[in-house]
Amino acid sequence: MSGSEVIERPDTEAPIEGKEPIVRFEKISKSFGELDVLKEVDLDLYPGERVAIIGPSGSGKTTMARLLMTLEEPTDGYIEVDGRQLWHKEVNGELVKANEKHLHEVRGDIGMVFQHFHLFPHMTVLKNLMEAPIKVKGQTKAKAREEALAMLEKVGMVDFADQYPARLSGGQQQRVAIARALVMHPKVMLFDEPTSALDPETVGEVLEVIKEIAKDREMAMMLITHEMSFARDIADRIAFFDEGKIQEQGPPAKLLNNPETERLGEFLNRFGIDGNHG
Amino acid sequence: MVWDWKYALDILPGLLEVAPVTILATLGAFAVALILGLGLAFARRSTNRLLSGVTHAVVEFIRSTPPFVQLFFLFFVMPQFGVTMSALMTGILGLGIHYSTFLSEVYRAGIDSVEKGQWEAATALNFTPRQKWMRIILPQAIRPIIPVMGNYLITLFKETPMLLGITVVEMLSQAQIIGSQSFRYTEPVTLVGIFFLVLSYGASLLVKRLEIRLNVHR
Ligand SMILES: Nc1ncnc2c1ncn2[C@@H]1O[C@H](COP(=O)(O)OP(=O)(O)OP(=O)(O)O)[C@@H](O)[C@H]1O
Ligand SMILES: [Mg+2]
Repeated sequence: MSGSEVIERPDTEAPIEGKEPIVRFEKISKSFGELDVLKEVDLDLYPGERVAIIGPSGSGKTTMARLLMTLEEPTDGYIEVDGRQLWHKEVNGELVKANEKHLHEVRGDIGMVFQHFHLFPHMTVLKNLMEAPIKVKGQTKAKAREEALAMLEKVGMVDFADQYPARLSGGQQQRVAIARALVMHPKVMLFDEPTSALDPETVGEVLEVIKEIAKDREMAMMLITHEMSFARDIADRIAFFDEGKIQEQGPPAKLLNNPETERLGEFLNRFGIDGNHG
Repeated sequence: MVWDWKYALDILPGLLEVAPVTILATLGAFAVALILGLGLAFARRSTNRLLSGVTHAVVEFIRSTPPFVQLFFLFFVMPQFGVTMSALMTGILGLGIHYSTFLSEVYRAGIDSVEKGQWEAATALNFTPRQKWMRIILPQAIRPIIPVMGNYLITLFKETPMLLGITVVEMLSQAQIIGSQSFRYTEPVTLVGIFFLVLSYGASLLVKRLEIRLNVHR
């Protein structure tokens, strides 16, 4: 693909004017021992907004998502979700480290789709989608089943409801994983390279599904991806990570066609996007 | 000494009369081992260093001392501290504790075999820690270790004659009693051997079949 292609945007940018961010990273830092993976990163996500995260390997993209999903604890800084602190809670006007109970309350607003799907292998596809709504949200079996089937229909997997995940192709598993996250109705959905573990033939079907669900402007989406054309198609904003920082961010057209920083220019060149002549 | 078929048939009912004791001791001890073993596996995995360290030491200690010594200790020494139980109860508890240390290691291996991604997916769906264990992790952890568990059950079964040492009248001690009445030991002891052979072999075939079935479903 090349930068001169004309790509139709499916939608206008998210109407973020006058809205409070749904997610707010404030001076977030993360170190693994000596290694500083994220360095005082600020990033806001608005309700319904679609932000693509791009950047070289090891730049901290996955770590950003994992901090928000509470799979990793920040070394420093704050994360706010819908106005509430995620990793901290207020006790007598002071912010202290949150316990599991607090994390459980806030985490419900966030969903995640992983690179390697992580479906539950001991449950059928349908059970994979029903378990959390029933156990975590207290839905009735009948309601959970009805919604699970509707969601499977949406991702084109309803015919596989009674299969075990091991029987499915990677692309099929990922579509089920997306449906499983969706039935929890998160306000923010994280995608960490949802197609990079897939055979080339099945990448397309998964990207189509993501584009389809992106039409619904209820949910904010943070998409970590190496698929530049996909990022361009779907994102309202692209953030370029390098060396633990956001080096540059902006609307896709601007960012991909006229990168300001040299680093981004070099990065895009490696993808065959000739930045400056877009 | 020659084999006396008539005598063998005569004593068979008397021997089989105590078969339920051997079976009860086996299943009882195994139940104790299954439950306690899981507890030990959790304690060993605890983030509390003290708890996990102490558990490790206790498990090593029990594993590396003879179960017979442990049974003697429970049976003869504990009553001096005011703890009395029937011989059978002592046997069930003693063997159960001993085998729990082996099963805890088996559980640990099973739990470690569950991919990290399963925990993360469970967190992302906001399951509580308890739900994660019960619904996601343990069902996956236990499946591959069922055959190993089955083999421990068979080993435990074959060790129940040691309960004779603490006066439980199980198969072997019944054989001894019968033999001492007629001074003929060949038939009763051989019959006991056959009893163990038949049940162990049968059980091992079952375990094999289970193993195949579990693999097929993967
Ligand atoms: N649990 C961990 N322990 C130690 N180092 C880690 C851990 N997780 C991530 N890292 C390191 O942190 C750095 C950033 O990792 P991260 O996964 O966020 O990068 P990324 O931008 O997602 O890269 P990629 O495009 O390859 O997925 C890498 O150098 C990685 O090795
Ligand atoms: Mg990554």
